[in-house]
Amino acid sequence: MRHSVLYTFVFAAIICVVCGVLVSTSAVSLKEKQDFNAALDKKKNVLIAAGLIEDGEPTDAVKIDGLFANIESVAINLENGTEDPTFDLEGYDQVKASQDPDRSFTAPANRSAIKRVPTHAQIFKVNDDAGTLQQIVIPIEGLGLWGTLYGFLAVDADLDTVRGITYYLHKETPGLGGEVDNTRWKAKWPGRKIYGPDGGVEIAVIKGEAAPAAEAPFKIDGLSGATITGQGVTKMLDFWMGDRGFGPYIKSLKQQPAV
Amino acid sequence: MKFLRTILDQQGKQFEPGGKFEKLYALYEAADSFLYTPGETTKAPSHVRDAIDLKRLMVTVVVALGPCILMAMWNTGRQAHLAIQGGALPLATWQTKAMETLGLAAFDPSSILANFVHGALYYVPVLAVTFMVGGNIEAIFAVIRKHEINEGFLVTGMLLPLTLPPTIPLWQVALGTAFGVVVGKEIFGGTGMNILNPALTARVFLFFAYPAEISGDKPWIAAQTSPDGFSGATWLSKAAVEGKAALEQGLTWNQAFFGDIAGSMGETSALACLLGAAVLLITGVGSWRVMAGVVIGTILMSTLLNMVGSDTNPMFEIPFWWHMVIGSWAFATVFMATDPVSASQTNTGRWIYGGLIGVLGILIRSINPAFPEGWMLAILFMNIFAALIDHYVIQANIKRRGARYAT
Amino acid sequence: MATKKSEAVLDPLFNNNPIALQVLGICSALAVTTKLETALVMCIAVIAVITVSNVTISLLRNQIPGSIRIIVQLVVIASLVIITDQILKAFVFEISKQMSVFVGLIITNCIIMGRAEAFAMQNGPLLSALDGLGNGIGYSAVLMVVAFLRELFGSGKLFGVSVMPLVSEGGWYQPNGMMLLSPAAFFIIGAIIWAIRTWKPEQIEVDG
Repeated sequence: MRHSVLYTFVFAAIICVVCGVLVSTSAVSLKEKQDFNAALDKKKNVLIAAGLIEDGEPTDAVKIDGLFANIESVAINLENGTEDPTFDLEGYDQVKASQDPDRSFTAPANRSAIKRVPTHAQIFKVNDDAGTLQQIVIPIEGLGLWGTLYGFLAVDADLDTVRGITYYLHKETPGLGGEVDNTRWKAKWPGRKIYGPDGGVEIAVIKGEAAPAAEAPFKIDGLSGATITGQGVTKMLDFWMGDRGFGPYIKSLKQQPAV
Repeated sequence: MKFLRTILDQQGKQFEPGGKFEKLYALYEAADSFLYTPGETTKAPSHVRDAIDLKRLMVTVVVALGPCILMAMWNTGRQAHLAIQGGALPLATWQTKAMETLGLAAFDPSSILANFVHGALYYVPVLAVTFMVGGNIEAIFAVIRKHEINEGFLVTGMLLPLTLPPTIPLWQVALGTAFGVVVGKEIFGGTGMNILNPALTARVFLFFAYPAEISGDKPWIAAQTSPDGFSGATWLSKAAVEGKAALEQGLTWNQAFFGDIAGSMGETSALACLLGAAVLLITGVGSWRVMAGVVIGTILMSTLLNMVGSDTNPMFEIPFWWHMVIGSWAFATVFMATDPVSASQTNTGRWIYGGLIGVLGILIRSINPAFPEGWMLAILFMNIFAALIDHYVIQANIKRRGARYAT
Repeated sequence: MATKKSEAVLDPLFNNNPIALQVLGICSALAVTTKLETALVMCIAVIAVITVSNVTISLLRNQIPGSIRIIVQLVVIASLVIITDQILKAFVFEISKQMSVFVGLIITNCIIMGRAEAFAMQNGPLLSALDGLGNGIGYSAVLMVVAFLRELFGSGKLFGVSVMPLVSEGGWYQPNGMMLLSPAAFFIIGAIIWAIRTWKPEQIEVDG
């Protein structure tokens, strides 16, 4: 079938307009629901790290929001380690911010291959009904074997004891490094201590099995066959809990009298 | 012995076309030619007069494997006993009970007999499972495809157990063997048609399927080890973390060369492999070009890495003479790379094939963080390229001749 | 006509399966089949996209100028895929997160483009819809078999429910890690092709 050039152009234009309208309509009309889902997913991971819900437990928005009622989201200025109440956390994506030169700074040399640190980080303070701080949940990320692991670490109100850890995004080998999201391995974390007597970050994933938390407070069982992933976890904790990460903020929080 | 022949001949009729067990002819044929030299002669033209046939070829390889098998049994026992002496507990398995029953429960690492018996208790079951599974699959395919059972599996079945750690569960051995024989060989058409080395295919399947058990990170010793006391990690995985110093402090080169170290059952001893290499080379069964190629490739690549150096990767500083005695280098070079079916067939091609195995093996061993050992992957990779290398070698040869006679 | 309609649906299941015979759409078959759940969502998405795209192209077949027909097909398919992606993100967020880019990659799934060009350009909308449905189901059948085997042997689960309790969780089953790596899908698809061709030897290509 022969068609004139004009016909071809007009046809192409109509197709483009129709498809364009369809795609943008669907994107705009569903945006709200998607953002809601993304926010809910983040909250869920925070709750998992804090040990308030089990991984894989069926949840719904009502339950998550209910549990989140006592959790307050706080922006931390990572350049000076203070809370920044003026910073707008609505829809803030820390991972995206760390790729934007205006909203991040070059990371000091570190073992975790973290190149840029966002100026602001979102952490979560978990309070009890009376408003007393129970634990804080901190975002962590760092290189494993195949790629970056993203997760949350929950720290007790004493700002030293681990309450839980979770990784929600990683590319490690299934069965080896991929075991970082195994609930059995994550169950080894609560009760371990982060800071040694001299204030440095001591917690580390070792090779082989570690003794119970009371005997070996700074050691976590290694993942069998995944030395590099384990080292990655150690290094990223060393960075984020150390002086160049959340260390200064945590120190200042320690000195504050309990509210 | 006459009567055996008579029975075979009488029963044979039932397996001939039209007989009762026509379909099972392959099984009859296997029994017959195992016991007697086949009576048939080649009928079509183009005869080669040579005493060598597939059976002799395979048997030669098995003879060459002799020293490795002996070492496998002795060393498996010895490493277990050394670990027990060093504070590890004997495993709660039937092997330990058998040792107690035999009165060898002292687990003395200096007793050759105890070492042998303890090692054999681990090695022989693995070997038996390999042959049971592999032999049956071979027979099933022979019956379905109506060809004769041949000796192809003999060597594969001898090689595979030697590359496995002593503590490997037997069901994993069975699964790996099945995968190796079916995917590595039968789908390509059986013995002689395979592109990949079936023993390595089986080994690589186990490596990826059950990495936690078989990547060399966990103890490879038949005793209850602990990371604080006697860890039992292989020297290769120690070298990957601590570098040359760990090797030089921990053991002597002679010890590693002799094979008195932990590792896969039959791969630890470079000496045993060297003896095997001698048999293969004298009989002409193994290609010296392939072996020499691997040696040269290894030396070049590891020396290059030595010169480049690395602050973060201690594997870079290991010199080639250490590379050759730890891990599975010697075994892979002598027995795996030289497999005549899956290697290159042209002489120039063999040099290239061997050399690239050497280069790639060191590269994977040193640079890849996920795989502590590189030979199995390097050889399988080059297996795939073997035919391509041959093609270009032949093309180049044709071109050169063409140029010589052109006008 | 009636036979032609049922053929359009049934033929792609075994006789002319898009994965097993034509070996198309392999990329997504590798990527999303570690779990039945993601594979199922992928199958539904592909069936929806291929059916709607076939109908759309078939309706437009007499209007599409021959010189830009491939681009038009691509625009239609791409729009459908983006809409599908948006819907998945809105309603099954968890699963769409696991499927990440592979929903978007439905665009590059050769089956959809192939059916649009080879079938919908020549046939009426009803027949094209049935053809799309049939090919979608043929693709899904293979995908679900692959996902079933990979999830069962790789993680001891079916649809996320533990069937064979894992050693690492106190059970007896030692999961086969290779099943979770992409090559396992190749092995399984290869075995499926082997089985189908043993059953239907006419599918074996003549060596060229």
